[in-house]
Amino acid sequence: MPFAQALWESLVGDSPLVLPVLFLWLTGTLMLWPLDSWLLKRMPKERWSFITAVILIVTCWFVINAPNAIGFADMFRVDGVTKGFQIICIGAGVFTTALGHKQFDALKEHTAEYYALILFSISGMLLLVGATDLVSMFFALELMSLCIYILVGYLRTQERSVEAGIKYFLLGAFSSGILLFGISLLFAATGGTTTNLERLGQAIALAPGNHDLLVFSGVLMVLIGFAFKVAAVPFHMWSPDVYEGAPTPVTAFLSMAPKAAALAAFLRVFGAGFHSVSENWIAPLSFIAAASMILGNIAALRQQSIKRMLAYSSIAHVGYMLLGILSMDTQAGTQAVWFYMTTYLFMQAGAFAVVIHLQGVEEGERIEDFRGLGKRHPLLAFAMMVFMLSLAGIPPLLGFFSKFYLFRLAIIEGFVTLTVIALLTSVIAAYYYLNVVAQMYFKEPDEKELGRMGICTSTVVTVCSAVLLVGTAFGPWIMKWVGKIL
Amino acid sequence: MVSMNTVLFISFALFSIGVLGVLIRRNALIILMCVELMLNAANINLIAFARHSGTVAGQAFALLVMGLAAAEVAIGLALVVALYRKKDTVQVDDINLLKG
Repeated sequence: MPFAQALWESLVGDSPLVLPVLFLWLTGTLMLWPLDSWLLKRMPKERWSFITAVILIVTCWFVINAPNAIGFADMFRVDGVTKGFQIICIGAGVFTTALGHKQFDALKEHTAEYYALILFSISGMLLLVGATDLVSMFFALELMSLCIYILVGYLRTQERSVEAGIKYFLLGAFSSGILLFGISLLFAATGGTTTNLERLGQAIALAPGNHDLLVFSGVLMVLIGFAFKVAAVPFHMWSPDVYEGAPTPVTAFLSMAPKAAALAAFLRVFGAGFHSVSENWIAPLSFIAAASMILGNIAALRQQSIKRMLAYSSIAHVGYMLLGILSMDTQAGTQAVWFYMTTYLFMQAGAFAVVIHLQGVEEGERIEDFRGLGKRHPLLAFAMMVFMLSLAGIPPLLGFFSKFYLFRLAIIEGFVTLTVIALLTSVIAAYYYLNVVAQMYFKEPDEKELGRMGICTSTVVTVCSAVLLVGTAFGPWIMKWVGKIL
Repeated sequence: MVSMNTVLFISFALFSIGVLGVLIRRNALIILMCVELMLNAANINLIAFARHSGTVAGQAFALLVMGLAAAEVAIGLALVVALYRKKDTVQVDDINLLKG
């Protein structure tokens, strides 16, 4: 059996590259069976979130120690970029576990499945950020998305959760159909020889003239598929509804982890793979970036629900990050996007922690619920102010620094019009972020008692606000360090 | 031997039917079927061009896509059933709780 033996040897030889993923699959499966039926009788359910957090931290250790190499027939690559984005995804998973702890451990059934699905979707993300082949990229993307469809519709007794789940599923499946057709057209343009990003890039650059249409439509469809996944205008229609309807911890997860993973794949596909045919996608991608910044920020102005407002603001932030993908200097673009995404992770996690805490006492869904929080709970209000000001990009906070770095890169690369649009829309954005701050400090409070904050939520809030407050002081060192590892 | 342009034409026609179906039809189950059409349009391209170049990678990709389609349908149908239990309808126009 020489074939089977060769297959086995190559799989075993490359397995250290995907050790974190294998670990997640193993532990996730064990959580579903036998641990769920066996442990449930013996231990309080609150342990599930603790177990998940431990698993994720061990995975993080595996990620850091993975060897830098390419494996699986050039389909998967581990390098600084892969590790950097993998750590963001795992971090988002840890935050989500801490935030969902109260709501999901209180469920009567199916607690273990929730955490297992988070682990499985993170394993998809870990594969996605390292994928260097359109095939592995597509299936990793689907592994990630399929788990998230279930998570969004998880509370199936709540009408809005089911509705959000089905909306996300139908549009997500539609977009992956477009993405797959785009991949098949590019495969056709190479004459059916390769889907590896590097070779594909060379092949389509050299493709004969009559293949122009094939390459153009293929690249465009892949672009549309990705724009759907990161929720960029005009393919963003699902995002506000899904953000509002999903259970709030899942909304937090949705706004951090899949975005980071899809942006990393975006960087690999367009930065590395389609670099040679950039004249085909620079104009559409610039349009998508500008439209996301403008529409995301303007639509956020008139939102009453804070979850919807954060959804539109995340559309706008994706617009900013697309500036980094447009950059022709792939390495600098990657560093800027990675740094922005890391900052964004802390801002979103913190903001959602506050929203979830307020939701626990049946408010916090609407922006008006923040009225007078400055008097009722000064520390929490201060933390929320830090997150809002950082999202708006006000100077002493880390959010300003990452925005500055990204915009500076865009100017160096010559995208002056886009940078001007980005700056103007940031000014608009300040209005709705500051509106929340104004509600907290300048409006009279309702006479209502706030519940006590759980240890998990308060840790998340403290860590995130501390990072955002002192991060800028270490800015130059952070950038030097990022430059070394990515 | 069928020419490659014919293959591309057929797969594009199938893909367009799928896209139009998703955009026009309002029944969640039929939308799901139309998504399957889109995936199969891509499969035709993958298989035909893999055969054209004499390699197997594209054919393996198509097999995996079929597996994926099955997984997607499993989740989609589960969500549709959950929706039907909740609202007694599978028309996407009737799910309008979230908007703005």
